[in-house]
Amino acid sequence: MSDVPSTEEDEPLHILGSGVLNGRPRPFHHGIRLNIRGRSVTLRGLKHQPIGLLKWVLVLGPGLIAASAGNDAGGIATYSAAGARYGYDLIWVMILITVSLAVIQEMVARLGAASGRGLLDLIRERFGIGWTMLVVGLILVANTGLVVSEFVGIGAAAELIGLSKYIAVPVAAILLWYLVIFGSYRWVERVFLLMTLVFFAYPVAAILAKPDWGGVARGAFIPTIHFEAGYLLLLVGLIGTTVTPFMQLFQQSSIVEQGVARRHYGPERLDAYFGSVFSNFISVMMIIAAAATLHVAGQMELSSAADAARALEPLVGPAAEVLFAVGLLGASMLAGTVLPLATAYGVSEAFGLPKGVNLDFRRARLFFGLFTAMLVLGAVVSLIPGLPVIRWLLFVQVLNGALLPVLLVFILVLVNDPRLAGELKNSRLNNWLGWGTFTLITAAVIGMLVSQLLGSYLP
Amino acid sequence: MASIFLSNLPRSFWIEPAPPAGRFRVKLVDLVLDSLDEDYPAVKHLLLQLGQRGQPESLLGNSAREGSRVDWILPLDAVEMIQWEAGRIRVHAPGAIQAAERRADVQEVLLKRDILDNFIIDLQNTRVNRANDLLLDNGDGLRLRAVDTGLRALLRRASGGLYHGVHQGELQDWKYVEFLRGDPGAVEAGAGYYHRIERLPAGEIALLSGELPYLHLAELVLLLPIQLAADVLELMAPERQLQVFEELPEGYAVRVLEKMAPDIAADLVGHLSPEDVRRFLNRLPKISGERIVDLLRYPEDSVGGIMTNDVIVVRADWTVAQVRDGLREQLEQPDFVYFIYLVDDEENRRLRGVVTLRNILIARDDQRMEEIMTPYLVTLSPLDSPRQAAYRLINNQLAALPVISQDGRLLGAVTVDAAVNLVAPGSWSAQAPRIFS
Repeated sequence: MSDVPSTEEDEPLHILGSGVLNGRPRPFHHGIRLNIRGRSVTLRGLKHQPIGLLKWVLVLGPGLIAASAGNDAGGIATYSAAGARYGYDLIWVMILITVSLAVIQEMVARLGAASGRGLLDLIRERFGIGWTMLVVGLILVANTGLVVSEFVGIGAAAELIGLSKYIAVPVAAILLWYLVIFGSYRWVERVFLLMTLVFFAYPVAAILAKPDWGGVARGAFIPTIHFEAGYLLLLVGLIGTTVTPFMQLFQQSSIVEQGVARRHYGPERLDAYFGSVFSNFISVMMIIAAAATLHVAGQMELSSAADAARALEPLVGPAAEVLFAVGLLGASMLAGTVLPLATAYGVSEAFGLPKGVNLDFRRARLFFGLFTAMLVLGAVVSLIPGLPVIRWLLFVQVLNGALLPVLLVFILVLVNDPRLAGELKNSRLNNWLGWGTFTLITAAVIGMLVSQLLGSYLP
Repeated sequence: MASIFLSNLPRSFWIEPAPPAGRFRVKLVDLVLDSLDEDYPAVKHLLLQLGQRGQPESLLGNSAREGSRVDWILPLDAVEMIQWEAGRIRVHAPGAIQAAERRADVQEVLLKRDILDNFIIDLQNTRVNRANDLLLDNGDGLRLRAVDTGLRALLRRASGGLYHGVHQGELQDWKYVEFLRGDPGAVEAGAGYYHRIERLPAGEIALLSGELPYLHLAELVLLLPIQLAADVLELMAPERQLQVFEELPEGYAVRVLEKMAPDIAADLVGHLSPEDVRRFLNRLPKISGERIVDLLRYPEDSVGGIMTNDVIVVRADWTVAQVRDGLREQLEQPDFVYFIYLVDDEENRRLRGVVTLRNILIARDDQRMEEIMTPYLVTLSPLDSPRQAAYRLINNQLAALPVISQDGRLLGAVTVDAAVNLVAPGSWSAQAPRIFS
């Protein structure tokens, strides 16, 4: 740079050692942050960076809250069903899948920091419009299924406290739509978050139910496989609800939105790991609680939300249903809003169309159209009379599990592309774990499909 | 004049050589643009892939073939007849098809690689779009005419020729477009760009900062002249500013830092790692470096943290004529000039009063500054609350308030810009709505 006057002949600036510069750069915002299934929510801004013990409290505390908030209707149904049906026998899957989840979430976070773009954006740039349409289609199906299950959850919660779902669900749908479009959602979100704290009752209930801890440990570390169609179905459902495809989209977009640059990616890695581990803690506790109450009592099948609520009885007795309803309502409302909103946003982004709630309808038709359509569809389908509630919830999780390998291939190719990921591209270990996860999930999905086919032809 | 969408071009073409040789099929890889000097640039040549065999050797220029994966170049001026939709090209000139030296040259602009599916900036509406399809005019050569940014373009492409819908309102005239590759390195490597973006004022360009990924934004900033780049960076949200700044090549970054207002530059530098700060400060001209370091001393949430120290200071006993002569040089430098601060001498800078440029214009040459100045009553201390200071400034409709130390030394001034930034953050730059965080 010839036109920059060199200061080398001049005396060097004195300041450099004078304590003006701190040891580390000033960060922009401190705050109490939650990572709810990939999505990052700031509970509160802090003026100063927390230090020492407080720092850990502020990492672990929100992590646990996020873990309880991350459980949606489908998750609760799946974990409860797994516990009721197979006792502790599926916990090992949760341990394995936690590792996979951590690895995958970290990978997409890294991809977001390295490229500054969302996952669908990158799929479009790297694989072209045809593949993008395919992935968008899969995501739309999977996420709409989930939105339906959130409304099923809202309906079930309403019935538990004696309200008709035919009133509660439409009211909830209109309310959520209004809150998002007219912008007071941020505040209401905290209320929903607060309601999900109820799920902390699960670890307590699990302990009070005096489970056979030896059995829990065996279930956690010794894989037990039951050769029946229902087992594989639940296994894929567990995978699908724990590593749901939307979590990867959320995680990457959230890193992009927070403005994490590739040079400053380091700390985010831990955040992604912690987020994954925490989010599965309550899930495992749900399985244990359900196993120690329902399975032990011989109730293998769940037929309604009231059955699932019984897992909380060791803690609160007859109040279990109300408590369960509050948590279920909060979690379903939380996911029921964010899912359609984030899906519409991500799809519009990938197609290069205007997006965001601050635009008017005419400028962002696809965005508002998708958002509204998903809410309406979710509410309407969930109200179909005679819809087998628990079966539907499980089915959507299985569908998500089956779509996961497809998305995983894209993620693994993208994160290995030096043009996109640059120096943050996958290490060999990451690739091993990534492709290992892919292989295991694919095997489980194929096994499930085969067993379902055989199951329908054989007696 | 016929137009055709890039998506409607067939994927492969029949090449028809001079008779005895039979026709053969090639795959269309990409279209390479001629110079970007024109508003609607022409396609200069086609990038092709040949099949395993069947091509007459006479048509191939350098016949040393390195496998069929090599791209081949067919210049359009060597073509006798071309039917785009039907996919027929008649070529008679011997040696017309040349093997491409590299797979693709960084400096050239390829329609599919560099424009299609990438981000483009609509300069008329200052908006970021994606190039969902490209419209080519087929008259005087094949020319890039417009970008289709709508959903219809995607449906056309995905439907494989079944859907033909076009909406005029979704076509963006190529004359008012800047395209980006998403790689700040491409600018340095000398890749072709329009640089049309530099015709927009800084505030408009900064509006794009919420919509573009940070690598694209860094690329965009690199396309700008230094002063404009500095102005645009000043207007970005602080997080964005840092992300973009760290992607700039170091030499360019130093020059931008030098042109930025020192208060904003200091905030930015405060967020860099200490090693980077050291390197940057050592490369800055001494005076800019010292200004930034002075400001770094103050905590961020203090008046010192938002003030600028790039103010014009003259001695109170100077005459108006002296000031007029002396100012000419100084006036070229700082951003904010309306007030001229008077001190008793340059060494200890004790603030005496202030004159405005208007005062100087109407005063007689032989008057001394002391005679025309307004003695200062309202001043700020560097450790005051910045919010209170900002409200004081805005409520009193002042353009700036001086900041003095306890012993009366002039340290700098808080300008109305800084005050507004503090009181109404985000109002000046379109913040993307937050959905995921």
